Amino acid sequence: MKQKKDEKFTSIRHIQEGFKKVGYITSRQTATTVYLAHHLEKPVLVEGPAGVGKTELAKTIAAYLGLPMIRLQCYEGLDESKALYEWKYGKQLLYTQLLRDKLDSLVDREDTFAQSINKLHAYDDIFFSWHFLEPRPLLKALQQKDGTVLLIDEVDKADGEFEAFLLEVLSDFQVSIPEIGTVHAVTKPLVILTSNNTRDLSEALKRRCLHLFIPFPEPALEREIIRVRVPEIPSNLAAQLVSFIQAVRKMDIKKVPSISETIDWARVLLILHADSLSPELVRDTLHIFIKYEEDIRVVEDQLHQLTANAARAF
Amino acid sequence: MDRVLEDFITTLRRSGVRISVSESLDAARALQLVGYDDRNLLKDSLYVALAKSAQEKEIFSDCFDRFFSFDFFSEPPPNESSHKESTEGLSDISRMLMTGDQPGLVTYMKEAARAENLSDIRYQTQKSLYAMRILERMGLSGLDANIRDLYQAGAPSSAATAARLEEARSYLVENVRSYVEEQLLLFSGYEYDKMIEDYLRNIKLSNLEQRYYHQMQGIIQRMVKRLNDLYSRKRKPARRGHLDFKQTIRDNVAYQGFLFNPRWKKVKIEKPNVVAICDISRSVSRLVRFFLLFLYGLNKEIIQVRSFIFCSNLAEVTGIFEQYPIEEAVARIQAGTDIPVLLARTDYDRTLRDFKERYLDTVTHKTTVLFLGDARNNYNNPQTQTLKLISERCKKLIWLNPETKPFWGTGDSEMLRYAPYCHVLKECNTLNHLERVVQSLLKR
Repeated sequence: MKQKKDEKFTSIRHIQEGFKKVGYITSRQTATTVYLAHHLEKPVLVEGPAGVGKTELAKTIAAYLGLPMIRLQCYEGLDESKALYEWKYGKQLLYTQLLRDKLDSLVDREDTFAQSINKLHAYDDIFFSWHFLEPRPLLKALQQKDGTVLLIDEVDKADGEFEAFLLEVLSDFQVSIPEIGTVHAVTKPLVILTSNNTRDLSEALKRRCLHLFIPFPEPALEREIIRVRVPEIPSNLAAQLVSFIQAVRKMDIKKVPSISETIDWARVLLILHADSLSPELVRDTLHIFIKYEEDIRVVEDQLHQLTANAARAF
Repeated sequence: MDRVLEDFITTLRRSGVRISVSESLDAARALQLVGYDDRNLLKDSLYVALAKSAQEKEIFSDCFDRFFSFDFFSEPPPNESSHKESTEGLSDISRMLMTGDQPGLVTYMKEAARAENLSDIRYQTQKSLYAMRILERMGLSGLDANIRDLYQAGAPSSAATAARLEEARSYLVENVRSYVEEQLLLFSGYEYDKMIEDYLRNIKLSNLEQRYYHQMQGIIQRMVKRLNDLYSRKRKPARRGHLDFKQTIRDNVAYQGFLFNPRWKKVKIEKPNVVAICDISRSVSRLVRFFLLFLYGLNKEIIQVRSFIFCSNLAEVTGIFEQYPIEEAVARIQAGTDIPVLLARTDYDRTLRDFKERYLDTVTHKTTVLFLGDARNNYNNPQTQTLKLISERCKKLIWLNPETKPFWGTGDSEMLRYAPYCHVLKECNTLNHLERVVQSLLKR
């Protein structure tokens, strides 16, 4: 397995092409980072504006390697018991009830208290063993025999304390469970963390990761993405659409359109059988990639100018 | 570790990129994987291993381009010989110059620079010294001796060679100088910034020149960031002794209802609640500017601020900060745009009365009141009674005075009359003072 995985990571070009086959166009920078992440066995922290394909990157790697992806969505208040592991309290309780008679027979009525305790000690901590442990995403990722891609999504949404839990997993690929001991990874998972920069992450976390910033793509790259994701679209429409979106991104608006929204727009235009952008067409479909009333107004004001500029793009 | 990488990391550190040992080890391993062959690949690899924020990435790009630049000695030396002259008996450096061996010269220069510890260069004034030392190590004296010998030999051909060598010599000197200059920029940038920062932190804000405003904002942002990091953590110290019954029952279900694991009640630390009242008359306005920048940096995270400004009367400006980005808000406040405040003579009498009538209920026993002003009241009624009232209601009354202590109470200053009602009274006219005050607000 390991060998097969290594084969997929022989060179950066190889990775780029492999990703393309599963429908993800990547810049050289991103491919280099994935390459290093595999060879250095380091987690990758991906930052960048919303909708540039940060989460998609993890899914792509999983698809490329043919491995399962385990996802941990972070939110405020996420804690150990939801991310690492939890004891199955209900099961423990049920079993103690069921085994009550068994325990009675085990412990003789004539025994002193100390003797009873000693007898019980002869048995292991049955109730705190693997059978009663509910693994949550982080622990589950360590247990996968063939390795896995672990996606820790929007880590900035979780509390500062949660980052501290992550540190052990990220640097040593292990989890300490007080009742059982330290659990090491069977096969080290490839870890991708994403962040939308709603707060600064701690130095300690950053130090343990490779840091990748994915910006909005260059026009050429975005055209390529559209071509791969919406292959039926005529190439000159794709060029116009990308140039339009790129111009809108430079405007002073609340939420700039992301790549996923560009793709949506391309699909809509395809359904409408458009072959070039016209101000009317854009006005009717504007809400697909602009989500705020004020933003729509700003863009509409310059609609003619923008479409004219876009029409010149090839 | 690779010597070149080591130097590069030192350069990055000096330029303000924080790199830990483990990160430099990552970089070294990445380097082993990708090698030096492909410049772009090398840059991409080190980029993800070393630079970890947008700002650091920018610095990294800049440093990388400068550090790995090899365009010295790129122009060929003047009047390169058409026919091969004999280079026998010449020193190494002379031979390289004569044959125009560019890579050789660059390597030679870099080696010499390293031997002379060029990376220690800090100041403009050290430039010629370092250039001289590097030239010396590269064998300038040997070159000079060659030239002298050739002239003395007297033959016309050797005189021509000597003349060519002399030109090559100035070419060499020029290149070394520009190299040293480049390295000075690379190595000293951050130190200089740090020097300026130290200076700005301690300078009296009223003497600050306009051109430093921008830098000041950067420094304040960094201070705010640090305070945020220190204090924004939810601190929940356990208060032992008070049993949290509900929590205990819930946690001990697993033990069949036996209370093995008691849970205690916790207290959350509340955000400090601050009422800031600032004088915006000319005498204090600059300080107010930075003070507000500071407070509002902390506003959302760890402090709740209501702010008021006054000159001849009092007006609330909390809303302005919610409407506009902070810099614009501060500018608006200072100009008094759209704010019902009269910018005439400072009047503490009217101000305090205004506050008492309209806003006294904002002050509770949890509130810290921050007064920022020089207490120069233009001989009006000082209204000490009102200040006393505020002082009794609030948790703490802090007065910050931009004047130095000996001036308090002189002329129309009412500072000494107000002093008894202030829990804390401080002179405050530099950034460092400000930081200390804000820090004391955050401490319990």
